[in-house]
Parts: sequence; structure tokens; C-alpha cells
Amino acid sequence: MAAEIVATVAAASGLVAVLEGVASATSLTVIYLLAVLFVAIRRGEVPGLATALFSVLATNFLFIEPRYRLTIAQSENVVALVVFLIAAVVVGRLAARSRQRAAESEERAAIADAREKEAQVLADAASLMLVSGSLESELDTIARSLGPVVGGPLRLELAGSPKPADDESSLRLPMRGQPAWLYARHDADREVIERIAEPLARLLDVGLERRRLTEQTAEAEAVRRAEVAKTAVLHAVSHDLRSPLTAIVTAGSALQTDNLSDGDRRELLSVIDSESGRLSRLVDDLLDLSRIEAGAVSPRPDWCDLKDVVARAADQVAASHGDHPIEIRLPDDLPLVRVDTVQAERVFSNLIDNAIKFSPPDVPVTISGGSSPAGVTVRVSDRGPGIPSSARRDVFEPFFRGRGQQSGSGLGLAISRGFVEANGGRITLASRKGEGTAFAVTFPRAEIASPAPT
Amino acid sequence: MTSDGARVLVVDDELQILRGLKVILRNAGYTVETAATKGEALDAVSVRPPDVLVLDLILPDGSGVEVCEEIRTWSNLPILVVSAVGDEREKVRALDAGADDYITKPFGGDELTARLRALLRRSTDTAASPSVKIGDLEVDFSAHAVTSAGSEVHLTPIEFDLLRVLAQNRGKLVTQRHLLQDVWGPGYEEEGHYLRVHIAHIRAKIEPDPARPRYVITEPGVGYRLRESY
Repeated sequence: MAAEIVATVAAASGLVAVLEGVASATSLTVIYLLAVLFVAIRRGEVPGLATALFSVLATNFLFIEPRYRLTIAQSENVVALVVFLIAAVVVGRLAARSRQRAAESEERAAIADAREKEAQVLADAASLMLVSGSLESELDTIARSLGPVVGGPLRLELAGSPKPADDESSLRLPMRGQPAWLYARHDADREVIERIAEPLARLLDVGLERRRLTEQTAEAEAVRRAEVAKTAVLHAVSHDLRSPLTAIVTAGSALQTDNLSDGDRRELLSVIDSESGRLSRLVDDLLDLSRIEAGAVSPRPDWCDLKDVVARAADQVAASHGDHPIEIRLPDDLPLVRVDTVQAERVFSNLIDNAIKFSPPDVPVTISGGSSPAGVTVRVSDRGPGIPSSARRDVFEPFFRGRGQQSGSGLGLAISRGFVEANGGRITLASRKGEGTAFAVTFPRAEIASPAPT
Repeated sequence: MTSDGARVLVVDDELQILRGLKVILRNAGYTVETAATKGEALDAVSVRPPDVLVLDLILPDGSGVEVCEEIRTWSNLPILVVSAVGDEREKVRALDAGADDYITKPFGGDELTARLRALLRRSTDTAASPSVKIGDLEVDFSAHAVTSAGSEVHLTPIEFDLLRVLAQNRGKLVTQRHLLQDVWGPGYEEEGHYLRVHIAHIRAKIEPDPARPRYVITEPGVGYRLRESY
């Protein structure tokens, strides 16, 4: 600073010396005022005073006769000194104040900038949380986006007690409910962290509350669906069990009538016979379904040739459906799979039975198939009316019945899906209105450990 | 057990149930016709009304309730609805819509023929018969007298009226609404508690064991029935 003062005064002196030929030196001393103002504006009051003093000395020494000697008590010198000193003080103070204001506003701008960045990051975090379904999965993203704002990596955790790493300090977020912790490295900006803690906590509160509400809604929806399903099951069971039962009771009661003709007796016995069979199949289906729903299917996988299984299933269906044509077109080299043979047979007999029910008379049900790296597929297709897209999701639900379909328990497809899935397979449905329906069952390809001996 | 060839129309979509019912009803002397849907039932009734209709509540193309409503716009034909446990609400709606009685699945042949007999009796002998005798109980309409096992039973006028309505409809379901309207008059249809109190009094006077009534049977949520024979 002293160097600046000296240089400024020297420059002023030089200027005076240059201009001395034009005007009297005494009148040129005003140039030193410029030096004083220059220093006072740049450096403030005290350096300004020093410059003033030095300038007076320099004038005295350099330009006032006798030159190159300091002569005190020159009245004009004293006046100049006083004017310089006043100018230095006044200008120095004014300059200092304006410099201070400038510095303050600069600082404010910087803070505003930082806050804006924090707010932006918090807003991003909020929108992230609103878009995302899971709060936990977003905690890392939020923490990462906050990192640059606090000058170091952050971690967020929803936990009862803090578990900071060695180089981290933890801060408990002021949450309303569930506790949450913010971990930051020791060199992070503590002030910023404390400032964002509050809004971050509110944000997490909202996120948690939102998750709670979502869960509640899902739960309520699940309860409602379960209620609907239960009612449907109850209704279906009561109707399906009671109809054959009523037919049997009615026929049994009629058999007790005196003087029945032989024809009537045969008629009633055939009612009892067919309805008992229906009842027994329904009870079997209900047992299978409850086993499936209880997850107690426990398949016994074995090497299984699906061609065999399909043939047996087709025979079984033919036994009850008479002579509806069934075309089996499975490739000879269909790979073996490992599934429970009995359950697989149930699956295909259900599917074939179903296909026949929806087929026009004498239009064959076709069974085709093939294999891909993913698995071995068998497809049961009918040329029936097709399943409207609105109902496709429901056909696998228990007690769902096709339009106008009265016979059958409405359990066949639910049981089929249960067995297929228990055996690691998938069952899918393709249908076009008016053209028919195909159910495709795909079982995973089994690895054959060693080739069969030939 | 003869029914003089009365014509019964049975409406049910379960073929196997119809097969048994046909045998039972034919052997009880009825002429039987059947319908499997709401549409068939309404057609059959309008073409040639039967003497009595046996109507399943759940039909493939609608509800038995709708059949009752439709028929009641132009006919008093007796209707027996066939309901099942779980169909209570439909059953009550059918009775409100004008069905005369109900029977619950599964039912035996005797129960069905007894209900039909009670329904068919309505138009013939209610007004004519001066008294009704059921087991040890006798209700004399003209003398306003009730005897139980030969000894006179003292009933209040309201109690006698209640028992009279039940006896005139013996064997048949009498709905609460019907009883309240007949005995207390219009405007009392919702006062079910009157019935509870007075029926309890009647039972105390005529039942050998009022806690286990033999004569006046409660049909839960619907009404009462005086047993036809004991």
C-alpha cells in the first residue's frame, strides 16, 4: 500500500514537473489533490491521509522555493495540507462506504445464488419423489443431487439409529414421524447442511406420508377385491353345489313315491347318477383349487413326454364328450420336459374339454406345439366364438364362466393355470372374436444330464 | 294326494332338477309344464296361464323377481318361488313383488306338494269353511272361538284376528305386511314389533311348549305360517 502511495505521489510530482513550464508550480499543487482522491477512493481514509501528508511534503520539497528543502510555516502550504486532509477524509469515507455496499450486495447475490441452487435441488428431489413409486430407491438419487450444494458426498437413510461411516458425521433430520439421518463427510459445508435439513425433512415426511397412503389404498383395494372374490366364490359354490344336490334330493324323494313306473324309476336313477358325478367332479375341482390357492400343490416332477400326456388327456375327454373330433398335431421330436405328469394331464384335459364346449359341433379342436430355447409349448385351439378382450383377464379367475356357459364349475382354467405355474410353466391366451381361442402352455426346457442309453 | 289335474308350470334352468320334479308332480296328480328361462316362462303364462307357478329365482336371462312383477301386473296366479340359502334378499324381493310363498333348495317332494296344495286351496275353501282344525287346535271363525285339546282358549280380539288370518291361509306363508294390514289396517305395515308381541301371546295360549312352537311357525325375516297338519 505504501508503494502505491509513493508511486501515486511520484506520478503527481512528475506531472507537476512536466506542467511547470505552463503554469506556476504553486497553482499546480492542485494536481496532488488528484493523487489524494485516487488513493482515498481506492484505499480508504487512512491511506488517503498519508497521501495528503506525503503530497504536502513533496510539494514543499520539490516545488516551493527554496526548493529541495523542507520549509515549514509556508502559509499556502498549510492551506494545501488542510484541504488535502479534508478531501482525503471525506472521499475516503465515501469510497469506503460504497465499497462496503458493493461487497455486501455481491455477498447477497452469492448467497441468493447458493440458496437458489439448494432450492432447485430440493425441488428436483421433490419431483423425483412424486414421480417415483418407491421412496427408498430415490434416497440415493436425492442425496447425490444434494452433494454439489454442500460441497461433498451425502447419504440419506431412513433408520432408527445413525450408522455413519468413519469419515462421516451424522445429522438427524427433524422429521415428524419415522427418523431419518443425513450423513456428510467432515469437510462438507455444515451450515448448508443444517439449512437444507428442515426442508429435506418436510420433503421426506411428505414422501413417507404419500407412501403410507398408497399402501393404504392398495390394501383397501386388495381387501375390496378379496371381498368381491369371496362373494363370487360363495355365490358360485352355493349355486354349483346346490343344483346337483337339489336334483339328487328331488329325484331321491320322488323315488319314494308309490306306484312309480319303471320308466320314471330309470329316469330318476339316471338323474341321481349324473348329478352325483357332477357333484363329485366339482368337489375334486374345489379341492384342487384350494390346494393351489394354499400353495400346497407340490408337483412331483418327472421326465414327461407331452405327446403322451396330451393323448391320454384327449382320450379322457373323449370318454365323456363322445365323438367330438380332436386333431393332435404335435411334432415327433418334441423335447421331454420335467413336470408332474398327473397335473399336466389335468391341465390338458381341462383345456381340451373347454375347447370342445366352445366349438361348433364337428369342428375339430386342434392341438399343436413346438419347442424354442425358452421352452416346450403345446397349444390347444378351438374355432369357437372367441373371448372378448374385456373378459380375457378374467378367464383364469375361479368361477368365471364364458358367456351363456352354464355347465362346468368355472374352475377348469383357474386350476389349469395353478398347475402350470406350480410346474414352472406359463399359460397364455390368444383369441380373436369370431375366429376362436388358443391356450398355449409352455413348460421350461429341461437339461438332460446324460443322453439316454440307446 | 290328488290335485284334480291342476296345471303346474315349473320354471328352472337345471334340466336335471326338472326331470325329478316332473316325476314328483305327475305322481301327485298334477299336469306339468316346464320353462327354462324368464322369456319362456312369461310366454307360457300369457299363452295359457297355469293354475300355479313354481319359479326358480336365478334364471339365465334374468331374475324370478322380474317374472313375479310382470305377472302381477295382470294376474293373481299363485306363485311359489324356489330360493336357496344365500338368495334371501331375492326371496324377500320376490315376495314383495307378489310371490305367494317360497320353498328352499334342496327340498323334498312332500314339502313341495304340501306348499302347492296350500296355494291352490286359497280360492276354493277359505271363505266357505266355517272352522279349521289342525291337530288339537280348532279355530271356529263364525263363533270367534278357539279350542285347544277340547278346552276353550281365551284370545283378545287382536289375537283372534291374527290367528284367523293365519288359519284361513293355513299351510301358507303370510307376510308380516299382510298380517299387519289385515289386522291393524293400512298404515301399520312397518310395525313389526306388534306382531312379535301378539304372536308371543298367542303361542303362550295355544302351544303346548311356547318355546318350541308347533302351530305358529316363524319364517325369519318374512312372516308367519300356521302349520297345515300336525
